[in-house]
Amino acid sequence: MKFAYYPGCSARSTCAELNVATHRVAQKLGLDLVPIESATCTGARELRAIDPLSFYTLNVRILALAEREGLPLMTICNTCTLNLLDAHAAVCDDAQLLKTVNEELRAEGLQYNRSTRISHFLWVLYEDIGEEKLSSLVTKPLKGLTVAAFYGCHITRPPARYGFVDSRNNAALEKLATLLGCEPIDYSGRTECCGFHTAAHDERIAIKLTGQHILSAKQNGAKTMVTPCPLCHTVLDSFQKEIEKDIGQDLNVPILHLPQLVGLALGLSHDELNIDRHMISFDEPT
Amino acid sequence: MRDARQVGQDENFDTLRARNERIAIGALVSIKILRSDSEHGTRWQEFRTPYQKAMRVLDALNAVALQDAPDLAFRWFCGSKMCGTCGVRMNGREVLACWEAVEPEMRIEPLRNLPVVRDLVVDRTPYERKVASFEPWLTRTQPYPGFPEPMSHREIKHASKALDCISCASCYSACPVVRLGPLTDFAGPAPLVQLGQTALDPRQDQHQVARALSRSGIFNCVSCYKCEEVCPAHIPIVSGVIEPLKAKTAQLVPQMAQHPLAFRAVVARRGRIDPGELILRTQGLRVLAVLPRLLRLLTRGKINPFRTLLGFKTPAAGPANRILKGAGGPS
Repeated sequence: MKFAYYPGCSARSTCAELNVATHRVAQKLGLDLVPIESATCTGARELRAIDPLSFYTLNVRILALAEREGLPLMTICNTCTLNLLDAHAAVCDDAQLLKTVNEELRAEGLQYNRSTRISHFLWVLYEDIGEEKLSSLVTKPLKGLTVAAFYGCHITRPPARYGFVDSRNNAALEKLATLLGCEPIDYSGRTECCGFHTAAHDERIAIKLTGQHILSAKQNGAKTMVTPCPLCHTVLDSFQKEIEKDIGQDLNVPILHLPQLVGLALGLSHDELNIDRHMISFDEPT
Repeated sequence: MRDARQVGQDENFDTLRARNERIAIGALVSIKILRSDSEHGTRWQEFRTPYQKAMRVLDALNAVALQDAPDLAFRWFCGSKMCGTCGVRMNGREVLACWEAVEPEMRIEPLRNLPVVRDLVVDRTPYERKVASFEPWLTRTQPYPGFPEPMSHREIKHASKALDCISCASCYSACPVVRLGPLTDFAGPAPLVQLGQTALDPRQDQHQVARALSRSGIFNCVSCYKCEEVCPAHIPIVSGVIEPLKAKTAQLVPQMAQHPLAFRAVVARRGRIDPGELILRTQGLRVLAVLPRLLRLLTRGKINPFRTLLGFKTPAAGPANRILKGAGGPS
């Protein structure tokens, strides 16, 4: 299976280990990831708010690059995924917008015909690999590993995009964790917000919000947390020392990227998955 | 091929069909209500009532008040999703009692982030004060051209969405940032939707908009979409109201929009985000306060000062530069 691969900015910088792990796991799963070298940032929440037309143009350009290759697009970041889905939906709804954006893209000889399928790595596991095949590839079931799934917002909300009446009913990560041999735990933070998108100008919101989530995961018996989003990972892992200071107690909860958890169950090593690059070190249960 | 975006929907009764089929007529519905008053303090009290066809949360509350607890305090008026007075939290999410189907076991609490008067009744004053502080009326700067007043659907698109608000304060209760209290100056989703009704109207006095936005703390919105999820009027609160208001803020009160403007500049220059440059541009010398973390990130190779200083030439820089420069600045 071949995908145009869009890692996003975070997996190229602060979460470079996610990019490495994704490539290793893709190899094991038989996914052929084709890089789109000139793909830009999708605009996160910032550009999206203050400059909507540029936001649409940047996203539609990425979709058009994948379309030119005739490939579906695989993402590994929640916010990038939602941005691309929203831009695709916007140009599907609004022919005038599509025309304006395509005029801008013509300078590069690009045109978007609204045909690119956008799929996050989590969805690729279900839709393209399938639960059965994935189970058969598990060589090292993660027995005894209690995992708190941290979805992040943009893979389960807004309802207009994903169709949940109550986003807490999403069970994709827990189901997957069970399939990999882990024991998923229930806790209050599953589909709550990490606060990343305000952290660059005032990190107190992220620290307060995420503190509650990690604490709840730990109190409910989680040995580790797993997230499909590098932005959530940044707050959960890189901010954890500040969070401990804020709540006045030790947490020391290691956070895995989703491809790392999958990779461990497929028999890849810590080194191969760059797990030791995290702030909080992860030791497998023995 | 399974639709992976909705794993859990059937198992957890998230579809209309699954919700309607899980309870039989005549079966007892359990209603645990968080009650509070000055005499008894706060406590959970459980009631049961037989399920009837198409039973709503409001029907269950009325049954409790008629049969078991005539002193139960709860508000409702229209019973048809118009008046916005019957908002409560049911099983951890905000619903209109008049518009929500009962579940076999319910825990019903008053809305959060507002003081409780008694049982399920909250004091809406903090929300109303915030709305009032935004001067939520239309002030024309051009003389009224007479009827009909020409306006395109594009011009009034966002304001008309905001006008669907029934002021139920469900979103205000669901917002995790409002929940943090005085930590930030964030006004919260409901007051911002009220502001959007006039601020996103092209006829509105822009000085009045700027005054309101400067009191809104709008960039403390974390974009979690909790508000959109619970809005009974299906207003796209984040994408259709808060984001257009953020764009207005970047135009009218740019000093509040330092982070998004810096973000735009970094993307225009490099095509991608370099976290080092973004933080330096946004925080300036304040960055010294997070020095311990930066050192930790550096030792794990998570930030790269050389790339921050020298690595502008990514293959994405050219296209981003053209698109963002061509747009002539933030709109």
